[in-house]
Amino acid sequence: MNFVLPTSRRHVLANSGMGLGVYALSSLLANEDQASEPLTISKNPLAPKPTHFPSRAKSVIHIHMVGAPSHLDLFDPKPALQERHGELCPDEMFKGKNFAFLRSQPTLFGTPNDWGFRKCGESGMEVSDLLPNLQGVADDLCMIRSMHTDEFNHGPAQLFMLSGFGRFGRPSLGSWVTYGLGSENQDLPGFVVLITGNVLGAGSSAWGSGFLPTVYQGVEFRSKGDPVLFLSNPPGIQDESRRGIVETINGINAAALKDVGDPEIATRIGQYEMAYRMQTSVPELMNLDDESKHIHEMYGTTHVAGSNGAGKVSFANNCLLARRMVQRGVRFVQLFDQGWDHHNSLADRLPTKCKQVDQPIAALIKDLKQQGMLDETLVVWSAEFGRTPMAQGTNGQGKKTSIGRDHLRDAFTLWMAGGGVKGGLVHGASDDLGYKVTEDPVHVHDLNATILHLMGLNHERLTYRHQGRQYRLTDVEGVVQRSLLA
Amino acid sequence: MIGTEFKRTRRPRSLSIAIVVALYSLTQSQGVETRVGDPKAVSEVDFQRDVSPILRRHCDRCHGQTNQEAGLNLSTREGLFGSADSDEPIVVPQDAEASLLIARITDESWGDIMPLDGSSLETHEIDVLRRWIEQGGHAPESLVASQHWAYEIPADPEIPAAERFRVRTPVDAFITKRLPEVSLDQSPRAEIGTLVRRLSLALTGLPPSIDDLEAMESHSSDEAIEDYVERLMSSKAFGEHWARHWLDLARYADSNGYQADQLRDSWAYRDWVIDAFNKGMPFDQFVVEQLAGDLIPDANLSSRIATGFHRTVTCNIEAGVHPEANRVQQVFDRVNTTGTVFLGSTLECAQCHDHKYDPFSQKEYYELFAFFNNTPIEVKKNSGVQYDFVGPKMTLPMTSPQQSRIERLNQRLVDKQRELKRRVEDDQTQAHIKKVREALEIGRAEWHTPPPQFSSTGGEDIRLLDDQSVLITGSVPGTATYEFRFAGDGQILSSIRLETLRHEELPGGGPGRGDAKRTNFVLNEIELKIQKGETSEHVTLGDAKASFSQLKWDVGGVIDGNPKTGWAIAPRFKEEFWATFALVEPVQVGRDEMVVITLDQQFGRGRVIGRPRLSLLLGPRETAGLTDDIVELLEKNELNGKERKKLHEFFAEQNADVQQLKREIKSIQNEIKTISPPSTLVMVESDRPRETHILLRGDYLSEGDQVQPATPAVLHPLDPELPRNRLGLAKWLVDPKNPLLARVTVNRLWGEVFGRPLVVTAEDFGTQSEPASHPELLDWLANQFIDSGWSVRHVLRLMVYSATFQQSSKLSPRMVAVDKENQWLARGPRYRLPAEAIRDNALAISGLLCQKSGGEPIMPYQPNGLWRSVGRNQPKWIASDGEDRYRRGLYVVWKRAAPYPSFVTFDAPDRASCTVQRPRTNTPLQALTLLNDRAYAEASVGFAQRLIKELPDASSRDRAIHAFRITTSTEPNEETLGLLLQLVESESKRIEAEPSLVDQRLSVLPGKFRDRTTARTDVAIWSSITSVLLNLDQTITVN
Repeated sequence: MNFVLPTSRRHVLANSGMGLGVYALSSLLANEDQASEPLTISKNPLAPKPTHFPSRAKSVIHIHMVGAPSHLDLFDPKPALQERHGELCPDEMFKGKNFAFLRSQPTLFGTPNDWGFRKCGESGMEVSDLLPNLQGVADDLCMIRSMHTDEFNHGPAQLFMLSGFGRFGRPSLGSWVTYGLGSENQDLPGFVVLITGNVLGAGSSAWGSGFLPTVYQGVEFRSKGDPVLFLSNPPGIQDESRRGIVETINGINAAALKDVGDPEIATRIGQYEMAYRMQTSVPELMNLDDESKHIHEMYGTTHVAGSNGAGKVSFANNCLLARRMVQRGVRFVQLFDQGWDHHNSLADRLPTKCKQVDQPIAALIKDLKQQGMLDETLVVWSAEFGRTPMAQGTNGQGKKTSIGRDHLRDAFTLWMAGGGVKGGLVHGASDDLGYKVTEDPVHVHDLNATILHLMGLNHERLTYRHQGRQYRLTDVEGVVQRSLLA
Repeated sequence: MIGTEFKRTRRPRSLSIAIVVALYSLTQSQGVETRVGDPKAVSEVDFQRDVSPILRRHCDRCHGQTNQEAGLNLSTREGLFGSADSDEPIVVPQDAEASLLIARITDESWGDIMPLDGSSLETHEIDVLRRWIEQGGHAPESLVASQHWAYEIPADPEIPAAERFRVRTPVDAFITKRLPEVSLDQSPRAEIGTLVRRLSLALTGLPPSIDDLEAMESHSSDEAIEDYVERLMSSKAFGEHWARHWLDLARYADSNGYQADQLRDSWAYRDWVIDAFNKGMPFDQFVVEQLAGDLIPDANLSSRIATGFHRTVTCNIEAGVHPEANRVQQVFDRVNTTGTVFLGSTLECAQCHDHKYDPFSQKEYYELFAFFNNTPIEVKKNSGVQYDFVGPKMTLPMTSPQQSRIERLNQRLVDKQRELKRRVEDDQTQAHIKKVREALEIGRAEWHTPPPQFSSTGGEDIRLLDDQSVLITGSVPGTATYEFRFAGDGQILSSIRLETLRHEELPGGGPGRGDAKRTNFVLNEIELKIQKGETSEHVTLGDAKASFSQLKWDVGGVIDGNPKTGWAIAPRFKEEFWATFALVEPVQVGRDEMVVITLDQQFGRGRVIGRPRLSLLLGPRETAGLTDDIVELLEKNELNGKERKKLHEFFAEQNADVQQLKREIKSIQNEIKTISPPSTLVMVESDRPRETHILLRGDYLSEGDQVQPATPAVLHPLDPELPRNRLGLAKWLVDPKNPLLARVTVNRLWGEVFGRPLVVTAEDFGTQSEPASHPELLDWLANQFIDSGWSVRHVLRLMVYSATFQQSSKLSPRMVAVDKENQWLARGPRYRLPAEAIRDNALAISGLLCQKSGGEPIMPYQPNGLWRSVGRNQPKWIASDGEDRYRRGLYVVWKRAAPYPSFVTFDAPDRASCTVQRPRTNTPLQALTLLNDRAYAEASVGFAQRLIKELPDASSRDRAIHAFRITTSTEPNEETLGLLLQLVESESKRIEAEPSLVDQRLSVLPGKFRDRTTARTDVAIWSSITSVLLNLDQTITVN
């Protein structure tokens, strides 16, 4: 929002949609000596900005599975691994390698026989039976089976995936996108975070703005208490008082603006108006009552009709909220779901987790499609790394447990949908055991370069000057994966 | 004269500000004509000063000495005045339009606008380039300065003559010199109230008191202001304020960061920083102690605490971490932070390869790394793949509350022990011993396990085993009642014991029969009867004990007469157990009598005992459990002292009161143990120094050539006398020949005071930095800093005494147009307060602020559920309801994964890495915080309470004026006052219509802080007005 100041000394009390008196800032800075030239006094850092080139997607829903589910058991079937189940793994897969947990030479571990894979849709893409609903939208998925990363501990790998750097201090993907493009909705934050389960190891740095101005950091919408911190009035302050207070603040600030002439005051007046609007627009957004029963069933939400809110926190609710946010012009929605770190009991725990997310994710894709939004919304399903084809049977306390898999940085799978990517495509491949990438490797920087490209941003040009350097999300690397583009 | 008086003389240890100012005023000459007018007319563009920095900043990356994209090198005359590969001329002197240089940065028809890897040039930069070309494109023979300015020792600039301007310190001379060039004029002095508030906030982070404000309003002379500055600088709040800034650089936090993010104790370092500022510790000493306080010759507790500076780095202890990888990351952080804080240099690039722009090679990076490479590993495996944070800690003296607590506990311990001694020897014990002696004459009780007659209602196969246990196999009944019968033998029965044994023929080996996996049993009731002929008599059992009982299935349930309760043993399925039950009154069982014991098992699903064995305690119960040596003592007639003691102790054990006393003693002792002295993280050198190698691509597993500790060649040499360790490095950093330390430090101080540093890239003074707005001033201040004996206060005085600082901060439209950022300082500073100061200011205004300093971090109010990271031993946020709730923000516990939310909203960093400058954003979330965060709701009510208390009977108008003065140190104008009074009126009506709002509004303030004597309704009404005041732009701004 640029305030362009005309010159006449009139007090305009315009009515915004919500009826709050808005002081048109027009008159306040005008100087009778300088009658003509309008002054642009303040730039809203979240105002929509032009793309570098025409974009394929307008917004992103980035779903990160915290802990990293096994690519081998969900998206990258390995018959050879199945056959060799129980064999001691070859030396070259273990000796001289670094693992988070494996300390003695492990055996190979095939996908448990409890579930299989199925060729789906017209593309015949293979997806695990643990994800029956996702199988139904396979033709919309653009699957990358050749992902690889640099880090093999959760915290650093999450930071690397989401900020392109394995330590703290860099801006997250969502903040880069918001910095590059601004937001389409000035009544809501441009970058929203929704979490099920605990916060991930990288903490709030995973959606932080690093050295970018903090206005670009993700705003967490919480499931308990105020969805946005400090959204509701303190006890005993009702809406009329709130309005009176905000009007008085803005009135006095307007008087100060007239006296002091600092454009920053004009910006603050604007922000108080927006804060006041957010007090209505956020609860409206979070209230799932206005979605039809059919939609609730499709996602499998926990919402109770007439409850005037979002309902008990669930991944399904978050998927539906993500769609509502994108609909309202939020630029980047980041979902985190905790509980995918299956070092043990994979055969029990993976199916349980899949049940929680399969239906909502498939519903999100179908819903975006039926609303005609999938073309302009990029859905990314991500994890910080993959998991070893070798068995691990020890838990965090060193006790023997039933079998799971360790962390693997050299090969994993993730997928995107909508937003200008090719549906039904399988890109790249890992070796017979799913241990290393063999075809068309895609590094985290390549993926992020591609995401930015889809948003109309040149990852080499989206830079920010800090410590004497032009920093970017992709460091000095990253190649846009053109073969993924529709 | 100026030239000689201010010539740098190294190391006169004190340089009085008064002398500096006085000497300066004496030298003011008058009457030299100053050119004022159009900046374009007066400012001849200078290549070195104006053009070169722009080329370096925007073009050099791709068209400089290192890279020559398209064969173009703009760092040489040939390149600049030559042609592109398209044959277009780059610079055509006097014809900007024909110059490709201008076309490529302005006109898209020539291709993507340069630079390709960053944002386009600012309009004023393009303007400079255009004007330089139009003015003839003059450039020296060699375009590359022999040395980047920041690596040259600061020049000794002459203080300019500054006629026509108000000048208080030489700072003003340097500042006003540039004003005519940009056609700006010095602003008048700020109103005294504004000035007093500005000084107080800039120096202490707190607003002035009303008393101070009134005193200054009546005496606003320069001398009075200077006295006031001195008072501010000697207040405790001064150190607290400047520590906040330093702790951002030191990335100080109270947690480890990463996944586990546990809390750690390092607050003694935070307090050390506060003290250092308050004591006026010379900055060179401040640096040396933080880097090497453990290695200096007179190292002491305080100097060791100072080394916490480099122990603030994050530490990853997630399961599966590699301790060495973590250590190397920490050393990287130490090197990079050292570079940023003390050298204003970004060394980080050289981790993986030679620095692209600045003269630091990868080898030099690892030579610096070597200085820090001798500290111990900080992550250790505890079990399996779990890791603990184990880095070196130092124990601190106990705090005084701790000491008095220990004294109290010790006293209680002594009392209890004395009581115990008394009880052991008291009459009760004597009487008990007498009773046992008598019982012993009848006989000594022993457990007997005679073969039982056994039957069951379940129809199972029954086998009596050699050990007199009954093995029950065959059909598994849902429920069953077992009956054991024993013939009497004339002895006294005083207890019975049930054992549940295992056997290979039982499912899963037993002890229960239900299934092989969960081998539980449930015994609902046990009954004892004595049968004589046809009649039988129920005997009451008590004192049920078992070797183990399942949660909620305690063995006591077996004798409570309630068939729904009972004894079970999950989850210890594969073990054997016992239970004993004492007869409330022992009975003698005659030879013609039978002991009948029934075990009722009604749970169902075969949860019955597979192999029970019953034993009987026969003989007087008092004698049960006696050991042979005790029996021997009891039978002796004469006991010596030692024997008596032994006997008393044995029986005292069985006395419930004594047991209780012993437990109390144990718990006091444990409590004393838990009071450990506080500790803090410190640096220590390992005994065995590590070899340092270049790490290829920064990978800790790829070692290259070995290197030795050394300092970068571009800077001053390391004195060969100095040791090659952290101490040597620290001394090298504070060497007056270091061209960077003084400059980067005064630059940051300037930035904090004026809201904008002289070199805006305060974190980087390298070749890619922005040139200083006032390079001569920067050098002059740097020299003053060194010459004053590295006195921070001296430099601050030069700044805040200046007429420049004291100007009005109002913006004219011309200023908005040409200098929105205030880089030329034609007006005083105006900037939003840092996060902590916004809260501190609100607390001070409301009267709630507690000025207690130092100590463990505090937890004020924050919304529930913000601390939720994964990990072990996660602390809970327990908001204080006492004075800690309202202490300064710098004491709030800093958890890196979840810093205090309102601080983050106001741009505080997460402190995971070194932060030189916080951004200053202006967002709607900030508005929501000040409007609705309970902390600010409390401050509003507190402020209203203060207001009504101070002016109980005043008119609304007087109250509003007073409140506005408390908040902003100025009087409200009529328009503002009108708005406030309007709100008073509407809020009064609202409260009148809905009196229940009074309680609701006041409820936010914890009881301890509520003043019950002030008029509650007034407080409720005025809390809306005070909320307005705390939200004003001018309230959260240094005006």
